[in-house]
Amino acid sequence: MSFDSTNGTKQPGIRKGAWTVEEDALLRRCVEKYGAKEWRHVPQRAVSINEGLNRCRKSCRLRWLNYLSPGINRGSFGEDEADLIVRLHKLLGNRWSLIAGRLPGRTANDVKNYWNSHLSKKPDVRDHGERSKRGNIVFKPRPQTIPTTWIWSRDQPSSASEIRQEKTQVPEIPSSENHRTRVDTQIIGVPNVENVITKEMQTDNRVIQDLEDNKDDESLAGVGGWDDLLRDINLWGDLGAI
Amino acid sequence: MERSTQESPLTTTTTTTTTTTTNPNSANTYTFDSPHPVYAMAFSSLPAPSPPRLALGSFIEDYANRVDVVTFDEDARAFRPDPSLSFDHPYPPTKLMFHPKPLPNSSSSLLASSGEFLRLWQLHHHGDSSPKVELRAILNNSKSSEFCAPLTSFDWNDAEPRRIGTSSIDTTCTVWDIERGAIETQLIAHDKEVYDIAWGEAGVFASVSADGSVRIFDLRDKEHSTIVYESPRPDTPLLRLAWNKADLRYMATILMDSNRIVIIDIRSPAVPVAELQRHRASVNAVAWAPQAARHICSAGDDGQALIWEVPASGPAVPPDGIDPALVYTAGAEINQLQWSAVHPDWIGIAFANKVQLLRA
Repeated sequence: MSFDSTNGTKQPGIRKGAWTVEEDALLRRCVEKYGAKEWRHVPQRAVSINEGLNRCRKSCRLRWLNYLSPGINRGSFGEDEADLIVRLHKLLGNRWSLIAGRLPGRTANDVKNYWNSHLSKKPDVRDHGERSKRGNIVFKPRPQTIPTTWIWSRDQPSSASEIRQEKTQVPEIPSSENHRTRVDTQIIGVPNVENVITKEMQTDNRVIQDLEDNKDDESLAGVGGWDDLLRDINLWGDLGAI
Repeated sequence: MERSTQESPLTTTTTTTTTTTTNPNSANTYTFDSPHPVYAMAFSSLPAPSPPRLALGSFIEDYANRVDVVTFDEDARAFRPDPSLSFDHPYPPTKLMFHPKPLPNSSSSLLASSGEFLRLWQLHHHGDSSPKVELRAILNNSKSSEFCAPLTSFDWNDAEPRRIGTSSIDTTCTVWDIERGAIETQLIAHDKEVYDIAWGEAGVFASVSADGSVRIFDLRDKEHSTIVYESPRPDTPLLRLAWNKADLRYMATILMDSNRIVIIDIRSPAVPVAELQRHRASVNAVAWAPQAARHICSAGDDGQALIWEVPASGPAVPPDGIDPALVYTAGAEINQLQWSAVHPDWIGIAFANKVQLLRA
């Protein structure tokens, strides 16, 4: 408890610590008579024949608001109140007076004590816990970029089903790590879709050269998908545009 | 309060290098004056012979905002506001959209609006059913709190109209099943606020964000997303995204404070097909033509609405860029642009307190 702020020095005899029944009665009578205001006069006014109220005015006010005031609900906190406290705390943080403002009959002090003793340890109070408890799973897709070395067959009709087919293949491609120096073809298992070709960055120019030289190479035809490649060989001419 | 005036017809430009096509049937433009500044705008999707109908959302920096519905009477060439279909909306609606596939003879239409929540409104425009506007649902993203992070935009899935995807400043995109009124999926889409979202097909959507990336998401593979474009200077936010519904290869996006529109081919990602650079100030809105696969319209702070034709891939883009095919100059900075899906002749633009219909 702090010093009396009027003279800045410790006032002799001022009581601190637990309130006795008699002090409570004095305070109660004073407030009933003068109202719960002008707290600086309360210690002087709350006197009886036998004794005075030797308490600091701050202490008087707090005692009244947190304990003696008639509107205070002294029962234990119900489940709905606890739920409300949790939600408000998530929204407002440690601003107990604001939270208590939404809980009729509860003082900020009581709410704070209830929170610290009961609710702050529970795991369902944390944000991520809340969501999974209610079955609302939030996904976080991992982004990946399509490598710029992809070449799409030029004459693909832009039907929606094709886009779907190609898209579902996307996640698999970047997983190939090794830097091979030959061209890999990957055939998408849909008959009317042209082939998609992947290749490594370093082999760009060399491969174009190879393929154009081997345009009529019989040995390539018949190796899965090369027939289609040969049909579309004009594709390579557009490489400069990419 | 409202009047229709005949403005100067759509002007065309000719440049020294190319001649742009003229529109011989360029009819007049029609203006509607609203009592408050207009931002959100939606064309009704009731097919012809219904006349073009617009829902207009106000932009008042306050809690109390309005959504008005006006009908354009083509015979009388005038706007008719429908005051019984006007309603209050909390906070300015960031986007408005009608149900993309309504039943042709239905007497009511469903309008969705995004603000701090996603709301569905039913507008009864025939008969004497009252009330004329009914709030059907308030869809809140957040299960644990009364409050939801504000929604920047949403898109109604054409192929699967029970799906609406919303984008929010809390970096998530949420897919709603509006028939059940429940969340279908929630994804943490980006690292920063998501500014726009667009459906490509029934299970695929794309979104743009303040982190400067365009990402495509497939609901069948929620663990992965694909980055299709990133802004050249890192962390330049991308403000809007438009996916060409007539040719799903192409998307258009605009960067913040930039006068360029970037056209992306999703099959050749990272390198844009074209950058359209004829606006003289920041671009605010883009819209693809609903049926022609290569036409796109854009509008910006220079008060101009430009219609472009994006060249097919193959022939090289001219070195100093593509020129627009048509130019329209409005009196003020244009904030919104919508191209009507059921009446592809009409483009709506909004600037200051006015809404204009331009014949494309």
